[in-house]
Amino acid sequence: MKTNKLTLSSSILLLALLVSACSGGSGSAPEETEPTEPAAQGEQPEQPEQPAEPALPEEATIRILTENSTAWPPKEDWGVWKWVKEETNITVKQELMTGPESLALAISSGDMPDILSVFPSEVSKYGPQGAFVDLSQHMDKMPNVKAFLDAHPGVKERVVTPTGEIYSIINDGAGEGSQMVWFYRDDIFAKHNLQVPKTWDELYTVSKQLKELYPDSYPFMFRHGIGTLDTFGPSFNFYPEIHPDPADPTKVKFGLEDPNAKTLVETLGKFLAEELIPPDWLTMDYKAWTQFMSNNQAFITVQFIGQIEIMNNQLPEGQHLKFMPPPIGVGDKPYLPRGGTESYGMAVASTSKNMDAAFRYLDYVFSEKGKDIQSWGKEGETYTVVDGKRKFNDNYKEPNDLRIISGIQTAATYGWFDFNAWLSLVKESEQEAYVEAPKYRHPVAYSRAALTPDEAAAVAPLNDQIWKFWTGEVAKFIYGERPMSEWETFVADLSKNGLNEIKATYQAALDRQIANTK
Amino acid sequence: MRRLSVLDQVKRDRVYLLLLVPALIHYIMFRYAPMFGVAVSFMDFNLFKGFWGSPWVGFKHFEAFFTNPNSWNVVRNNLILGLYKLIFTFPAPIILAILFHEMRWKKYRRFVQSVSYLPYFLSTVVVSSLLIMLLSPSTGFVNKALISFGYEPIYFLQKAEWFRTIFIASDIWVGAGYGTIIFLAAMAAIDPQLYEAARMDGAGRWKQTIHVTLPGIMPAIVIMFIMSIGSVLEIDFVKAFLLGNPANMDTADIVSTYVYRLGILGGSFSQASAVDISMAVFSLLLVYTTNRICRRLGDTSLW
Repeated sequence: MKTNKLTLSSSILLLALLVSACSGGSGSAPEETEPTEPAAQGEQPEQPEQPAEPALPEEATIRILTENSTAWPPKEDWGVWKWVKEETNITVKQELMTGPESLALAISSGDMPDILSVFPSEVSKYGPQGAFVDLSQHMDKMPNVKAFLDAHPGVKERVVTPTGEIYSIINDGAGEGSQMVWFYRDDIFAKHNLQVPKTWDELYTVSKQLKELYPDSYPFMFRHGIGTLDTFGPSFNFYPEIHPDPADPTKVKFGLEDPNAKTLVETLGKFLAEELIPPDWLTMDYKAWTQFMSNNQAFITVQFIGQIEIMNNQLPEGQHLKFMPPPIGVGDKPYLPRGGTESYGMAVASTSKNMDAAFRYLDYVFSEKGKDIQSWGKEGETYTVVDGKRKFNDNYKEPNDLRIISGIQTAATYGWFDFNAWLSLVKESEQEAYVEAPKYRHPVAYSRAALTPDEAAAVAPLNDQIWKFWTGEVAKFIYGERPMSEWETFVADLSKNGLNEIKATYQAALDRQIANTK
Repeated sequence: MRRLSVLDQVKRDRVYLLLLVPALIHYIMFRYAPMFGVAVSFMDFNLFKGFWGSPWVGFKHFEAFFTNPNSWNVVRNNLILGLYKLIFTFPAPIILAILFHEMRWKKYRRFVQSVSYLPYFLSTVVVSSLLIMLLSPSTGFVNKALISFGYEPIYFLQKAEWFRTIFIASDIWVGAGYGTIIFLAAMAAIDPQLYEAARMDGAGRWKQTIHVTLPGIMPAIVIMFIMSIGSVLEIDFVKAFLLGNPANMDTADIVSTYVYRLGILGGSFSQASAVDISMAVFSLLLVYTTNRICRRLGDTSLW
């Protein structure tokens, strides 16, 4: 009995300690950081000017489904939400996605947030099922959205369905920050007097030289597994699956049927066999990549453009990464995937009880003023004007801090982004990549025309089947488990996995899209 | 004495019956109510129109599943993993429990036992990340060790033929210790006089194990066996999902990962549900058959 009482009382004590520790931790942390921020920003001069502004519209609260990124953990007190409140009198409650299934779960729960962050493939899946509002019917309530779409025909083309509905609006302006580019360690290249490779053959040669100099290294490194073929493909004039044919953009092409795909796969196999790329390239994650890059174990890589600066800030003194023009695979022109556009967008839930507020939100983020505030924040609070130029406060040290501190340029917080805000924080020495990358864009984008619900339902299992088939076989070819002499058999077998049906479906969709835009 | 009517019995035992209520509610809400969801496999389910608005299509999705060559690969992987689970994972806790039982140094035995429980409390995500890190051919400890012994590094997670070994071996590592609990309890219930009698007859430790311990825990083994047959096709989705990649897809793609891709990511809920039901029916058949066989061969069975 005695021991029982002892364990009981000690467990109660432990529980009490735990509870107090937890609540203390979560409660006090923001309190500590909050007061320091305004102090660092100094006085807020606009306060007295406020009454001169027109009266705010009716107060409303909306829920928005947004991303949950560990690189910029979402915070309730992000400036982006505060500014929305100040400008539109809308209080935003953000709900976070926990994985790729979050949207499906939100829809099927019967309790969708009012606005949802969505990718085009999800829109084409759930939009026609009735999950999202057809925004084209409500353009009268969103004059700014209408003006934006009219001024951006490229975006409009991507959001209008085959039957004329608009289930989502795709963000624009920040795509420059999410391009995949090549970069290399210019200090190492200079030290050993190595030439920056201009072709894939030279890439191989220089990697061999680097391997000799640093036997423990894997000179060429990437971390998106088989998905990296999306980045390599354009140098060989293809993307892995369905996309418009660069030779005739009115036709669809399945990239792996291109003979150049064989060349790329064969080359990667050669890199792997000679340990120029890491043996676990398929499963490399961000952490492993960072470790290799910062320990002189990798010297050439492909990554998101913003990573150059982030890595450079982490590298020891004297080490440096620099943008590298993409090496040529075939032909005489170097290519990167056609980037610069965004794919994330926003949809309004058809069950929303705050639909008018949701429209007001969309209209605000796509307005000139909304673009400015949601990209730059507010004068005195996030930036000051020096010599007629805006300068972010000192607590924003690199572009990613915009996201971390204020939520700027995170999902659903903006519609139309002013990329100059991002660029203003990119060091001058790092701006080259943003200037150079657009010069290498492939003639066609890795995109597919929108399908009707029936087409989408019919093609979904086939897409999965062919994806599983080609990724598995290509991995085998690269690992040398299947000899390259069987490549033609592999290409022929694609049709056994539904390639012809898939191509026919997307061709019909592309024909329709072309007819609609004429 | 007058026999009590059912109503009177309920009245008399109402306090005890109340104890049943939470479990009952749990089963109704989380086990039985969702069963109505199986109907979506006979519909062209529209996520938004929901259950009442979607059109019925009969066995269309089942036909699609049984005629799709991809699905056979997935089912085969599931069956093989299930079979391996039965052959290798099921006996592991029994063997371990017997070893514990034979351990004479009580303090040491308790320590080893506690340590063997620990992996069970690691989440699958943590276990999978550990495996990925340890088995990595470029940075992993296992390959570094192999190389230092003069062997070639092995691309464990990049080779389809390694997936099953890794999956089952890690299952044993995680579950064997914890699984011993039930068998140790069964052993504790064995009458010590039986051991004495066996010793009198000249049985050594080995003979005692074979002729006293094993028969003593046989009913527990049979019941656990039948129950594990029921879950033979329930392969841990999270682990298969996290350890799978295009290079080992040939063996790593199982029904639940396929259903996840098809249903949740691909939005074909009806088809995914049809796949799942087909497997559930198959599981039911397995349990039923095993139960019959067990009843015929021995005295122990589930029903």
